[in-house]
Amino acid sequence: MSPNGVTDFNVMVAGQGGDGSLTVVTLVDRLMRRHGLHLYTSRNVASRIKGGHAAALLRGSDVRRGCIGDHLDLLVAFDAEALEIAGPRVGPEGIIVFDSSHGEPRTEVAIDPTVQRLDIPFGRLSVRDLRRDLFKNSFGFGVVTRLLSVPDDEAEDVLSERFNRLPPRAKAANIEALRRGFEYAEEHGIEQGQGRWRFGRAQAHGEHILASGNQGAAFGFLAAGGRFFTGYPITPATDVLDYLGPRINKLGGVVVQAEDEMSSINMALGASMAGVRAMTASSGPGIALMQETIGHLGSAEIPLVIIDAMRAGPSTGMPTKPEQSDLDMLVFGGNGDFPRIVLAPTNPYDAFEIGVIATNVAQLYQGPVFIAMDQAIAQDSVTVRRFDVDSVEVEPGKVVDAETLSGLEEYRRYAVTADGISPWATPGTKGGLSLVTGNERDEWGLVSTEPDNRVEQMDKRERKVKTVESLLPAALRGGDPDAEIGIVGIGMEVGVIIEAVERLAKSGSSYATFMPRTIWPVPDETIEFISSRRIVYVVEHNAEGQLKRVLAAAGAPPDRMHSILRYDGVPFRPADLVAALSERASVA
Amino acid sequence: MTETYTPGKPIWCAGCGHFGVQGALVRALEKVGAEPHETMVLAGIGCSGTIQNNVSAYGYHALHGRVLPAATGVALANPDLTVVAAGGDGDGYAIGMGHLVHTFKRNPSLTYIVMTNETYGLTKGQRSPAAGPDPAHNEGIDSVRLGLSIPGSSFIARGFTRQAEQLESLTVAAVEHANAGRGFAFLEVLSPCVTYKDLYPQWDAAAYDVDEDPAYDPMDRAGAFATCQRLDDEDRIPIGLIYTGNNESMEARWGPGDRRLNPGGPDDRDVLHGFLDGMAS
Ligand SMILES: Cc1ncc(C[n+]2csc(CCOP(=O)(O)OP(=O)(O)O)c2C)c(N)n1
Ligand code: SF4
Ligand SMILES: [Mg+2]
Repeated sequence: MSPNGVTDFNVMVAGQGGDGSLTVVTLVDRLMRRHGLHLYTSRNVASRIKGGHAAALLRGSDVRRGCIGDHLDLLVAFDAEALEIAGPRVGPEGIIVFDSSHGEPRTEVAIDPTVQRLDIPFGRLSVRDLRRDLFKNSFGFGVVTRLLSVPDDEAEDVLSERFNRLPPRAKAANIEALRRGFEYAEEHGIEQGQGRWRFGRAQAHGEHILASGNQGAAFGFLAAGGRFFTGYPITPATDVLDYLGPRINKLGGVVVQAEDEMSSINMALGASMAGVRAMTASSGPGIALMQETIGHLGSAEIPLVIIDAMRAGPSTGMPTKPEQSDLDMLVFGGNGDFPRIVLAPTNPYDAFEIGVIATNVAQLYQGPVFIAMDQAIAQDSVTVRRFDVDSVEVEPGKVVDAETLSGLEEYRRYAVTADGISPWATPGTKGGLSLVTGNERDEWGLVSTEPDNRVEQMDKRERKVKTVESLLPAALRGGDPDAEIGIVGIGMEVGVIIEAVERLAKSGSSYATFMPRTIWPVPDETIEFISSRRIVYVVEHNAEGQLKRVLAAAGAPPDRMHSILRYDGVPFRPADLVAALSERASVA
Repeated sequence: MTETYTPGKPIWCAGCGHFGVQGALVRALEKVGAEPHETMVLAGIGCSGTIQNNVSAYGYHALHGRVLPAATGVALANPDLTVVAAGGDGDGYAIGMGHLVHTFKRNPSLTYIVMTNETYGLTKGQRSPAAGPDPAHNEGIDSVRLGLSIPGSSFIARGFTRQAEQLESLTVAAVEHANAGRGFAFLEVLSPCVTYKDLYPQWDAAAYDVDEDPAYDPMDRAGAFATCQRLDDEDRIPIGLIYTGNNESMEARWGPGDRRLNPGGPDDRDVLHGFLDGMAS
């Protein structure tokens, strides 16, 4: 059999998590990047793997993809349970490398008959020959590289690079393990350069980095001058704290791990009020606790960026699983009417750009800006273009300094202006004494319930959103722009929609796709897109169709919109969406 | 001169202790030479939470219970400012208690003045956490002993609005402690609510001034705790400088030290590129 080209390759490594046993993924990841493939990687996705099991998924493709593919090509299963759960997901002609050290699955596993299974007791042999179970990673990598027809010396090179910082003895032991892998492959008839798959000629994609949405947004915040971050640990938002913790101080900033979410958002508010760009991050339960302060930011006119890395709710829900079920809370939550902006990145590069926009727009309009990412966008790591920091502008907004103030006759913190935005003197500025409050107040900041003033101040605050609307990110569009059936989706749905529609187009069904990045305020272009189609499918990860509800509230015709929903904690694969759309087409 | 807001007139009932707190604060800020524009007064919610309107400074009205985190953010962002947080005992010891405990621990350089009246004045006289079940005994939460029990704490004092001179000097000492970057200056003030719970008579009788006691050593944490405990057993309330010590401040430990945090400029791009290099391999 001649080897298949590696153009779109899905690998899963599954086993006991938490002990570094999935290191083999990072090796395969390096190898794929060397060969110029785009990567999409996801951790812990095999939700039904119980008992401390974890899995890592990796898709390498020559075309940039925004999700994991339909089937696995290669499964490295470090125990029977992993085989039981992931075995059925291996597609035709795939290969399962099974660590048979601890016995067979207890139940019959339905595996495609064309799938080849290689049983190698990595764990047992690693302990016997090399004294440590962990070496099974390098051992397994030896087999995997043979399957991918990678020359042994290249495999060794990748391994050495990865274990660069290990002490020489540990590194040597890993290389020893790798060679065992080659030997075992040899015994199973897989000669060097003769594997099932083969990389094509490496393509140059320019400079790439591997980043998650959480990292992208955090980096964008830094690039746009963000220097104060607070957080309280919560999956899947903790990465932001972890990313900024060791970095922000190199830029003279501060990260504080607070005692709870009320503290973290109010500390960030304090720093922001003092003139430092600030951000906090949390997930549904924490964002719920922050609601009072978010309304207060809107009322008192204080800039803040708030990342919501959305996990499955309600309540503590399914902390590691993706959902888009905080949209209602972000758009409608809090007491009273106040301006807010909700942005939703579609990939890590987008998260960077939106991190920049959110930080600047918060500063410009003096209010809260959310970056809403479902867990998949927040945590899945993807190869993206190197973030273009050199083109980032730090917007000063309407901050006034002592010099400007000295030329003014008077300074009113809440001055009613045509664009709704008042000049802002931060504490420490001579000539700018002011009162900041969440109580309704007059232009000077003095508490007032006078009816006309109330209306003026409310209207002024609402006006601010219009002022910055043109700076908010536009939607991505694709498919056939003239199609009468449209598809709308945000965040993790975007990569799936693009791929599904591409496939459907090949079989003659055309769809127009529209993937908003500004959720609130709902831009005119969103309403126009929906209004000009016969049917629009709104694809979302929640049970009640929250995005559809938000769109309808903003004036999109509700009768045109039909939900395609999922709330089992599992992302759509392109094939799922193809099936869902085809099924609807057949009844329509 | 640019005209800015005219400080408000206090809206408190005649005889309310909060007047005394405001007077002491205004005089203390003058005494330490804090320029109005370099001063920020942040207040919680309650009758006490209107004090920021009446002092000539940058003022902020926090959400109920959240004045300490907000003040911490301000103090970290701009250590040049004189940061004074103020609020009631409901604001600080009920809804905001978690923050108080952690602020003692973190020790940011700012002053916190709690106007304790054992009641919720603004919502018309409900019991506050400082009130115990039996009005004859001090069975409410004692934040002085609480503060003493937290290792990071660095300045703990209690004043009484009846003793204006001492209150002023305690306020000065508190602000100076914070402005010197020595950490969190906690000043509880017995500030009676004459409308819902006039405790002047009881507190007149119970106050025990440790400043007047030559044997009292405010540098001795254990001794301070023992004295407070003994006085409490005798239904007396210690006032004065209870404790002062040298613990590293939050700014010193968490990052900025005495630097102001400034938004980035082109100089930061090299650092940012360095982060990206790390994500490239
Ligand atoms: C979240 C929230 N809960 C309740 C209130 C209502 N509230 C306003 S002031 C107050 C208590 C004030 O008591 P205290 O802090 O002791 O101040 P005092 O009026 O006694 O000076 C309460 C409960 C509120 N503003 N916000
Ligand atoms: S109600 Fe009590 S606390 Fe409030 S102003 Fe009147 S006396 Fe002071
Ligand atoms: Mg009170």
